[in-house]
Amino acid sequence: MAFYTLGLTFWIVIALTVVVLGIWIYGLYFNFKKWGMGSTGYQDELRHSFWLFIATWIHEAFKDGIWVFVKTLILDVLLLRRTLRRSPVRWIMHMAMFYGFLTLAALSGLGLFMDIIEHFNLLGLAHQAEMVKGYMELPFDLFGYLLLFGSTIAVLRRFILREVRSRTSAYDVVLLGGVFLITITGFYAEWLRGNSFLIGNAFANPVYAPHFSLLHTILALALFVVILPWSKYMHVIAAPLTILANRGGE
Amino acid sequence: MAEEKKSPAGKPLISGFLKSTQLMELDGCTRCQECMKWCPTFDVRQDRPEITPMYKIAKFRELLGSQYGLRAKLFGPKTFNEDEINRFTEDTYYCTTCGVCGTVCESGINTVELWEAMRPNLVARGNGPYGKQSFFPALLGKDRNPFQAKQEERLCWVPKDATVLESSEIAYFAGCTAAYRQQALAVASVRLMNALDIPFCMLGKDEWCCSSALVRTGQRNIMKEHAVHNVDALKDRGVKTVLYACAGCQRTATIDWPRWYEGYIPYKNIPLSVYLREKIRSGEVEWKRPLNFKVTYHDPCHNGRHLMHVNGRDVAFEAPRDILKSIPGVQFEDMARSREFQRCCGAGGGVKAGIPDLALDCAKARMGDAQLIAADVITSTCPFCRRNIMDGRAAMEGCDVKVLDVVEMMTAAMGLDITIPDNPYMKFQEQDVLVCDEDVCKVETIERKAEGKDLVGEAH
Repeated sequence: MAFYTLGLTFWIVIALTVVVLGIWIYGLYFNFKKWGMGSTGYQDELRHSFWLFIATWIHEAFKDGIWVFVKTLILDVLLLRRTLRRSPVRWIMHMAMFYGFLTLAALSGLGLFMDIIEHFNLLGLAHQAEMVKGYMELPFDLFGYLLLFGSTIAVLRRFILREVRSRTSAYDVVLLGGVFLITITGFYAEWLRGNSFLIGNAFANPVYAPHFSLLHTILALALFVVILPWSKYMHVIAAPLTILANRGGE
Repeated sequence: MAEEKKSPAGKPLISGFLKSTQLMELDGCTRCQECMKWCPTFDVRQDRPEITPMYKIAKFRELLGSQYGLRAKLFGPKTFNEDEINRFTEDTYYCTTCGVCGTVCESGINTVELWEAMRPNLVARGNGPYGKQSFFPALLGKDRNPFQAKQEERLCWVPKDATVLESSEIAYFAGCTAAYRQQALAVASVRLMNALDIPFCMLGKDEWCCSSALVRTGQRNIMKEHAVHNVDALKDRGVKTVLYACAGCQRTATIDWPRWYEGYIPYKNIPLSVYLREKIRSGEVEWKRPLNFKVTYHDPCHNGRHLMHVNGRDVAFEAPRDILKSIPGVQFEDMARSREFQRCCGAGGGVKAGIPDLALDCAKARMGDAQLIAADVITSTCPFCRRNIMDGRAAMEGCDVKVLDVVEMMTAAMGLDITIPDNPYMKFQEQDVLVCDEDVCKVETIERKAEGKDLVGEAH
């Protein structure tokens, strides 16, 4: 089924992706440099250096040795131990969103890579690339549902719990609303294209499918990639780095 | 209302003190709101969410963003609204730096270090410190203690028949409060060590204030003088182990002094309670009388949460409890919030000096925790917590929970004499003390007989 609509071509999409990734990488560099404004030690002066931030982070993260780093990475970053200690519900929510988001991002990257192989028939692997994309339908579905599950808890939590609701700011609304919107449009896009592994082509609609796919792609790129370094989404990068730098925290 | 400050317009928001990884921590907050559930100052100031870690981090990030964010890079930094900075300063100082927010933070942000790094920037900018906290540098610079007391009289409370050596491998660092305002604790510590044949020395007039108050309130200018002086004084006496009966002194000596001292520090810092527990375990302690009280224990932030990752949980939390549980007659029960989740008494971080009404309300809340379990006595290992909790009790109606130190409980149960010898500071003593006859002890409250020159209360 046609994917490109409204005059978009494969080349335009690739060019847009490169631009978006460029903005994302610059955003990360910008933040690292902003953090690098700080000092490298307790009584040291301000440094204003990207590389000294990297060096300081490595120094802090490995201060107690490689095993503490690995243990922190597994228990506190990958398994979110600190969240589990405080609230099992929030842990389930965060785990679902964390792994749903990360896996979908990785699958999207892999999908783009397969598109490129297929388009240029690199090494004569166009057919195999198409097959790989077929295999990706099930994981796309499963991790999509996982993200939907997590983001639904997150949204409901903000609605149902009075204390949480009263302290919810525009900052939180943009983040959660964005995640929820991208997840929902992703499902619609898949259903309309008839690609859903679980539902098949029950809702397939060749007329609207390309538009929805485009809408979903634009939202995903805009929110997750372009806006990430300049918003609360940055915690996706900064929180794991913080946990590692503080060797698991207090 | 924010304090009226001169406008330091044009000065940068940060001029140093913050590590690059701490700037990163500002972006690591997920706004989960967990810190708000535990914050002891927010608990008694529910109408001020801006004093909680989540809001302070968001505000500081916003202020930094206005100077160093993308918009500032493209169009230039915004001019600060000085009222906004003064309000933020007030919010930053409405914090006891107790660290419970760091303990529960899902992102593992080291909040105590973060607040203590923000504050000197506000001081350098002319916005901080807050209220009477500004007296600390002048007082310590001139008198080397916060009570305007004479350094030569640091040991005026030592009983004539007590043995305190000039130099020894073990030193007892009493701290300013025990030396001048809660001398029953100092006397009890000396009596106890003498009774257990522990040879020890004290620094006397060479024991300068640990300077905890300077670090906590962001006024680091004379910190180095005090840290270097105390470390050198201990080294000169050949000390290998320093014992502390003051949580604030111990925290500062363990974490802060080494940051200012450039040479090798050859001694270990150990809470007196840990050392005494070893004596109990080795069977050297002989109990003479029971203490028939229902007792609870208030974990001081400074040697509990602040040091649990340095010394381990057993040293941080269990040693004082083990001592209390081994005293005959004591019925021990923990309060609902204990150990790393303990509720701060409200005195730390300069709050007692800067915002005394906030300190008092926190103390009342902590005393309320003790009342909930119907405790007769709330104990601690921090004279400063003790001072504030007693003040909280005085501000409550019908509360008769007594406040004692673990060391004093142990001394009384061993049948030792803890009478304070007459000295120039007797009239400034204000504390609960154990008064014992042959078999029975009761707790009495000594009321202060003179105002003294306590410009800033006490200092941690």
